[in-house]
Amino acid sequence: MSKKAIFEVVDGLPTKGLTVMSLKALDFAVPGQWNNVVGFTNTIKDVTGETDEALIQEIGERAVTLYNDKSEGYQKALWLYQTVDAGSSALGTGMLANKATENISFLGLINKLTPKPEKAQSFDLTVKLVVELVAFCQINGIPGDSIGDFLAAVKDYGGESLMRMAALVAYDGLVPLGPSYAEKGLDALKGTSGSDLDNNKTFRSVRELIPGNNDKGKLTFVTESFESVKDWMVGFTEEKGLTQDKVVTNLSKAVDLSKNKLEYLGAFMDVATNYYEHTGAQTLARRLIERAAAEV
Amino acid sequence: MVTTRLRRLLAPLMLSALLLFSTGCATLSPPENPSAQFEQVQGETSGRKAPDAVAKDAVKGGKFNTFFPRTVAGYDGYDVVPAQEKQGFAQFKVNEGGGNVAVLSINDTISNPAAATKYESSSRQIQGYPALTIGSKGTGVLVADRFQVKVQSRADSFTEDDRDAWLQKFDLKGLSKLAE
Repeated sequence: MSKKAIFEVVDGLPTKGLTVMSLKALDFAVPGQWNNVVGFTNTIKDVTGETDEALIQEIGERAVTLYNDKSEGYQKALWLYQTVDAGSSALGTGMLANKATENISFLGLINKLTPKPEKAQSFDLTVKLVVELVAFCQINGIPGDSIGDFLAAVKDYGGESLMRMAALVAYDGLVPLGPSYAEKGLDALKGTSGSDLDNNKTFRSVRELIPGNNDKGKLTFVTESFESVKDWMVGFTEEKGLTQDKVVTNLSKAVDLSKNKLEYLGAFMDVATNYYEHTGAQTLARRLIERAAAEV
Repeated sequence: MVTTRLRRLLAPLMLSALLLFSTGCATLSPPENPSAQFEQVQGETSGRKAPDAVAKDAVKGGKFNTFFPRTVAGYDGYDVVPAQEKQGFAQFKVNEGGGNVAVLSINDTISNPAAATKYESSSRQIQGYPALTIGSKGTGVLVADRFQVKVQSRADSFTEDDRDAWLQKFDLKGLSKLAE
């Protein structure tokens, strides 16, 4: 689990670089939803609209206290967002020594990448979606029928959460898998065994927090979760006018890359961006601050 | 090769030039920690001996749900959507036209008693309980000296009068029975 204080995490979020650019490139799909608010006190001001320093201090202190209590689930949620991003990009981390600055040339990198097999990519998509569900419950609590609650909440997703879902559809769905990405994800899960799933790096990185007694049970959970949000994803894709072509066109404008190496683009996005971790930390901070502002 | 060597030779020169020109300026001092104001609470609440953030006997958040208003007369088209539910805390969003305009919450101040003591300065009541304006966007009520019920505006269109109107529609009497 992350040992950094929550204010250090939020203060450390970048305002530029490939992650931020690749998210901004999706503004056409969710216009105005994501403004990349970073910084802990900035986030408190943005969420609450308050400017009184004493009140901001009080809210911040309560938020830090809640975050530090492990049993409250916030640390687990951040760990999930960080780990699922790192797990899916593990194949390229060695060559990204200068990733911290995110100042890498697309063409220099792309020549060293191998596109992931479709099955591995499909697993990544489904595991990331399930991580969203588990992290959602860690942050917001909502007990009982978690999948049903999640579906109701997905409808109410906005801001950085909606942007994260747009990026999931675009960069882990449409770009590497094409328009039938959701079907491919589900097919990959249905044609697999628990041990197959265990060979997937992304799944392995977060398996301990996926509900289920064993790999088979976890696979069932992943499959059922993915199945239940699949229709929402497809509807979202259609409603927002997300197509592979639009995504790639907007992305290539934003990060100056050529469109003719599409099969590598998914791999590139994997290693060059941390969009799950970035927007996940923002979501967590905002919900935590919402709670703190209510409790003080 | 040549350019690498040249760069190596130039680097210290550039650095000393930078040092020379920036003497007396703040540019070379380490960046200020933007959230240094939270270091103290971080020290107090992290580590093995850190106290729990939420009291063990705080009321479960799910028990609060029934006391929230789901509709308020005069606010047609406003949706009340569940947002968070944790030990000692429950929160709903009020949305209008797809946008969030306010948040409603109940929390058990047994976990953070300072939240309750501030109501000692209350000078008015809502449904017979002490009420307080908190910051510039919030209004709270303290029920049974323990449960804080808050409405916070998230859009300018949701005014202090709106907050009062929604607080009037919570089942505060029912909530007070949880303290018995």
